[in-house]
Amino acid sequence: MNSYVLQAEDVAIHYGGVKALDGVGITLEKGQIRGLIGPNGAGKSTVIDAITGRRKLTRGKVLLDGEDVSHLGAVERRLRGLSRSFQRTSIFGGMTVRQQVELASYKMGVQDSAADADAVLKELDLDRLSHALAEDLGYGEQRRLDLALALVGRPKLLMLDEPMAGLSVQESQDLAQHLKALTARWEVSVLLVEHDMDVVFGISDAVTVFELGRVIASGDPASVRANPRVREAYLGSAA
Amino acid sequence: MSLIRTGAQSLLALGGGVAILLLTPSASLLGMFTQAVIYAIFALGVGVLLKQNGLVSFGHALYFGAAGYGMGVIFALDWMSAEWAILVVLLAIGVLAFLIGLVIVRVPGIAFGMLTLAIGQMAYLLASRARGITGGADGMGIHWPSTLFGVQQSVLLKPAMLFMVSWTVMVLVTFVLLWILRTRFGSVTEAIRDNEERARFIGITTTVPRAAVYALSAVVTGIAGLMSSLNTGFVSPENLHWSVSAITLLMVVVGGFKTALGPIVGAIIYFLFKDLLGEHATHSMAIFGAALIAVIVFSPDGIVGAVQRLLKGGRVHGGRRPAGGH
Repeated sequence: MNSYVLQAEDVAIHYGGVKALDGVGITLEKGQIRGLIGPNGAGKSTVIDAITGRRKLTRGKVLLDGEDVSHLGAVERRLRGLSRSFQRTSIFGGMTVRQQVELASYKMGVQDSAADADAVLKELDLDRLSHALAEDLGYGEQRRLDLALALVGRPKLLMLDEPMAGLSVQESQDLAQHLKALTARWEVSVLLVEHDMDVVFGISDAVTVFELGRVIASGDPASVRANPRVREAYLGSAA
Repeated sequence: MSLIRTGAQSLLALGGGVAILLLTPSASLLGMFTQAVIYAIFALGVGVLLKQNGLVSFGHALYFGAAGYGMGVIFALDWMSAEWAILVVLLAIGVLAFLIGLVIVRVPGIAFGMLTLAIGQMAYLLASRARGITGGADGMGIHWPSTLFGVQQSVLLKPAMLFMVSWTVMVLVTFVLLWILRTRFGSVTEAIRDNEERARFIGITTTVPRAAVYALSAVVTGIAGLMSSLNTGFVSPENLHWSVSAITLLMVVVGGFKTALGPIVGAIIYFLFKDLLGEHATHSMAIFGAALIAVIVFSPDGIVGAVQRLLKGGRVHGGRRPAGGH
């Protein structure tokens, strides 16, 4: 009855007089990738924090598969299939790669958590590093491990906060294509915050542009790229 | 498989206890070893909190002293047999610590340490002033019954027997701790310690496991308190004083908190400095203090960590664990 995996309606987060988000609305369909772009401080990461329950809403609501999850904490939202990665790599340094991915899968209630962990590790080409300590991995490998932790239990919605940050151009392109293929195969919807415009416009089905805590444009990549206000506010000559 | 190996190591450790017993020439030295072993159990309790929760407690003497007072009061009022009293006291310590833990483990870093200090000192003052129950500053005698688990007290309190009982309890506590830390609970608490926010975003509720670790560490400390009350037959507010917590914390830091062996080694080294060197050097504690500084500067994972690196021929500066190691 409802084709939207995510509906964020009139979402606002205020810190005193500062409006980090002010009446933001975002929708996401099953299997869709939506890129979120905008200058630093525009509110992109705050939107992810709001949707995942990391920040309390001043106003508005978040619906996951039609269910209002606004009142739930981060743990409950994750268990309902709302997952995320972090801007700064967020892994468990003192645990092995497999140990932590398997633990995450177990906590997600996956019956065969070992098989699920193996599948995710293989998907992200981390299986050969299963027994390595996370803190001993290279940066790119840690970013993939961060993604692996978000992917266990096959989430309905995956929110990625600058997953390409710090990667080389080639690594970014590879990860982007991998992500595109993965979302299609696993039917997971993705909200992607990313500064690499080639990646965002290359793999997104829709793009939303933020400025000063508000949405200034939203639509398919071509229309957003052509939007004069977006070009003026953010894309500039790079578009 | 690794649990079987730990079991075999535990049996070896028990054999080691017998060897120490046979090689120790005097009863007074054996008495000192017994005290060191009791403090090693105490240090295991403080160490597991540091290892699994990443939290430093300045108030664990609360549980060390509470075990003694609990036994003393139960015996004075003749409420139940000693065997039941041991179970009840440890259970009460576990429940009390879990409830306290639910509140204080939410507080990070130094603030947590200050809270444990405040709670511990409250207990110290309470024990000092409640003369009617605790005997106040004079303390109270703990009158163990004539038999415990079918063993005559006259046999149990012999230095050799007390040493072996303490040593066996220490080995058993270590084995149980290692087993617990290898379960899913161990992985969960390790994940929370490493990255609490990320843990929440893989579906882990973080407060209850942290409170459970706090309760576990309190129960281990309580076991040390029970052994101490059996050893001395006496408890006083000094058992609850923050300085007792601090000294035990020093043992953990010097020995190293990342392995089960670390706190035990730290306790033994402390008592070697205190009692053996103490006869020849009037400033044994200053030497121990210098050892502490050296360990913190050169080997943050303690003496055991340094020895492990030496054996592996690895890095000079510590802080990293071997793969998959607990």
